[in-house]
Amino acid sequence: MINTAQDLPEYKKRLKRALDNKFLRNAMAAFAAAYPEGRARALTGVDFEALRVEIARGKDETLPRLEELYEAFKAKAEAAGIKVHLAKTAREANEIIAAIAAEGGAKKIVKSKSMTAEETFLNDHLEAEGLEVVETDLGEWIIQLRHEGPSHMVMPAIHLSRDQVAELFTKVTGTTQEPDIESLVKVARRELRKHFLSADMGISGANFAIAETGTLGIMTNEGNGRLVTTLPRIHVALVGLDKLVPDLASALKILKALPKNATGQVITSYVTWITGPTECKAAPSGLKDLHIVFLDNGRLALSKDPVFAEVLRCIRCGACANVCPIYSLVGGHNYGHVYIGAIGLILTYFYHGRKNDRAIVQNCLNCLACKAVCPAGINLPLLIKKVHGEVLAEEEDRPLKNRLLRRVLHNRRLFHFLLRRASLAQKPFAREGFIRHLPFFFGKEHGFRSLPAVVRTPLRDRWARVAGKVAQPRLKVALFAGCLVDFVYPEQGEALARLLQERQIQVDFPPDQSCCGLPAKCMGEMEIAREMAIQNLKALDPADYDHVLVLCASCGSHIKGTYPLLLKKEPGLGVKVQQLAEKLVDFSSFMTEVLKVKPEEFLGRKEKAAYHAPCHLCRGLKVTGPPRELLKVAGYEYVPAKNEEVCCGMGGTFSTDFPELSAELLKNKLDNVAATGAELLVTDCPGCVLQLKGGMDKRGGKIRVKHLAEAVAATRKEGSKGK
Amino acid sequence: MDSPNLLQLLREKAEAVQVVVQEITDLAEACRYAVEVTSRQGGATIAAPGWDPATLSLLKDICQAAQIEVLTENLREQASRLHTGLTLADWGLAETGTLVHESSSEDLRLATMLSETHIAVLPLSRLQPDATALEAELNGLMHSPPRYLAFITGASRTADIERVLTLGVHGPLELHLLLLKD
Repeated sequence: MINTAQDLPEYKKRLKRALDNKFLRNAMAAFAAAYPEGRARALTGVDFEALRVEIARGKDETLPRLEELYEAFKAKAEAAGIKVHLAKTAREANEIIAAIAAEGGAKKIVKSKSMTAEETFLNDHLEAEGLEVVETDLGEWIIQLRHEGPSHMVMPAIHLSRDQVAELFTKVTGTTQEPDIESLVKVARRELRKHFLSADMGISGANFAIAETGTLGIMTNEGNGRLVTTLPRIHVALVGLDKLVPDLASALKILKALPKNATGQVITSYVTWITGPTECKAAPSGLKDLHIVFLDNGRLALSKDPVFAEVLRCIRCGACANVCPIYSLVGGHNYGHVYIGAIGLILTYFYHGRKNDRAIVQNCLNCLACKAVCPAGINLPLLIKKVHGEVLAEEEDRPLKNRLLRRVLHNRRLFHFLLRRASLAQKPFAREGFIRHLPFFFGKEHGFRSLPAVVRTPLRDRWARVAGKVAQPRLKVALFAGCLVDFVYPEQGEALARLLQERQIQVDFPPDQSCCGLPAKCMGEMEIAREMAIQNLKALDPADYDHVLVLCASCGSHIKGTYPLLLKKEPGLGVKVQQLAEKLVDFSSFMTEVLKVKPEEFLGRKEKAAYHAPCHLCRGLKVTGPPRELLKVAGYEYVPAKNEEVCCGMGGTFSTDFPELSAELLKNKLDNVAATGAELLVTDCPGCVLQLKGGMDKRGGKIRVKHLAEAVAATRKEGSKGK
Repeated sequence: MDSPNLLQLLREKAEAVQVVVQEITDLAEACRYAVEVTSRQGGATIAAPGWDPATLSLLKDICQAAQIEVLTENLREQASRLHTGLTLADWGLAETGTLVHESSSEDLRLATMLSETHIAVLPLSRLQPDATALEAELNGLMHSPPRYLAFITGASRTADIERVLTLGVHGPLELHLLLLKD
């Protein structure tokens, strides 16, 4: 049965075990490689963005009216002869279904896959009532026989090998079964057919409940859903209230997206639409005894929540797990409770409680990969952090790092004073820009990368020297540096200053700017994140500048994407924040689209350069072309690497919270870069630079790591003034 | 999209999910095809619910010669004997290579679910671009319950063991689509 880690030490033990499981690692890696290709193929010719907007809008219009839709559905369904039930809680749903079985004299139940039934632990309840329940989806049957929970919403047994299944089927049938997939599938066909024909009751879920006609829509591939709803004399469908849609058109929209996004199928093999009890020759009346049990379990309250209602847009495609770099390392049993993947980290809190969520909810890179594929446009990364914040608010003690952060971050002078002190304190350990001996409070699991030293003179103190006044500037821009550029990699800011000054651009460093607040958000400290946003807006008035430049994609994406959400209700600031978001531009877009730099301005050295796309640039700011183009303009030979847009494993504080996972992602990244034969690895986020440079140093790799601004400054023709 | 293109699209999409597609000129050809496939596969029965009397008698004649039994009702009792299911589809959806069956009749449903090989005849006049184009018709049916509508796209499939695609886990192992020019 499902037993999710309830504290971090236990959770980390399990993560370690998963990382050591070779079969799981290979299976997950193969899936992670195959999924994006299949999805892209299935989505050929489909305007996914438009479809996503339509699905989200449809869901948002429906959610406030769930009760109304339920009533409409109920009226239609009852008129057609369906018995409709509403269960407030999971237990109530299970009891209603057990009572239907008792009343109908049912002993044996066949079931098709239903995540809602997993949510309520329906099988456990029915079995305790003495009923025989047989899962008929192949994957579900396998995990039922193994007494496990699903490790994926669509492919519940993806964590198992053919050998494990053969061994299991040998036990079940009493005859030796070879690990040959085709014959194992035949075993299931033979064994389960007997159950279908002898069952009294069938239980299914549903993908849609259409209010206008009282119709259920069910998608399946194996065809077991059709048999479950056809052969037994009783059919019970357990349906979450969030599956209600107003009409067929809304259902067809979701149908268009779901299978493509879930498994890369254009459509599932079967889509079944049931309206009313149809002919069933096993039933005494000649018609099916059809029941629909709607499950609330918090959904109605959730639908009215100003922040979290969005999660009910979920159509259960499972894509947020498919693309998650962490899921692809450790699998679903270590990345959720009943519901897994990004949506699982959120839903677990609401449907299965804080205790089951408190460890797993911390395991998020905030790499935005889930958000990019969600067909309902759910802001999954942000909601994960918000749930994390809720969990923290309810805990008795906040972790030490959170308490420190709360004390330090919102006082810029204290924060920067401490950073300067750190530069002194690390002095005995620092060499070549790295800390060569980690302080005692870092364990050895943190040794996968070298950590950079904090510089003695931060960028802010150098600024007057490196970026003087430009007499007649073409443009006036502000640099929002962020902590890493300011205190760890000032050379990135200096490179920028050189490039822009030569091009007659006035670059200011507004001195009161502080941390953007993203680390606070990542630690679930939304209030501090909000305070930081206000502080920075006061430090940097967008009205004073033509553009606001960032060298850090994470700061940029946080300011552009999250500031408006944090401050939308602040009088006045909501406007300023919008203006700031509109003026914010990353380095590569500024160079290629605003300044339109030309190859003649650079030395054509033709050095081979690989590129790592920072999550918050390619998905956060949606900038993908400009950095690659700029590399070429600046005279580099750009060599594409595999998985350029997969996270490097930094994820801000993630890399110190889950160093083992971070190390694996970093290893994959550097292996892919090494395979290109590049001499230089370029990226445009100082966080990624920290991770990649530290990892490269640790493995003794020869590839140099640079921020794009440094790489571009290094090949500029001295004194080139551009246009 | 004009009808030759629609037909081409249907064919492509159906073949992409391992459907055997064949064009036929009349229902006699469909009957001969079903008998031939059944004999080749060593099957002894064809479940053919819902056909008009003329086609049915045609089928019975051909089956008799090939020593194949035609089953038209009470398929539930004969679940273990169903080899081929021969059905008439109500619509086809080109965009996804899908067949639509209004299968409120239990026998029709079982023929498409429990047979080893499912052979469906689609009159080309019933071909639609996609489900949205059929929305009014589907809605009309849903407004007159009880209804069991089935979209069928390819044979029953699973990828639940090591993500290896395997056909025929519960439903038919093969789906044949006979396109009838009408």
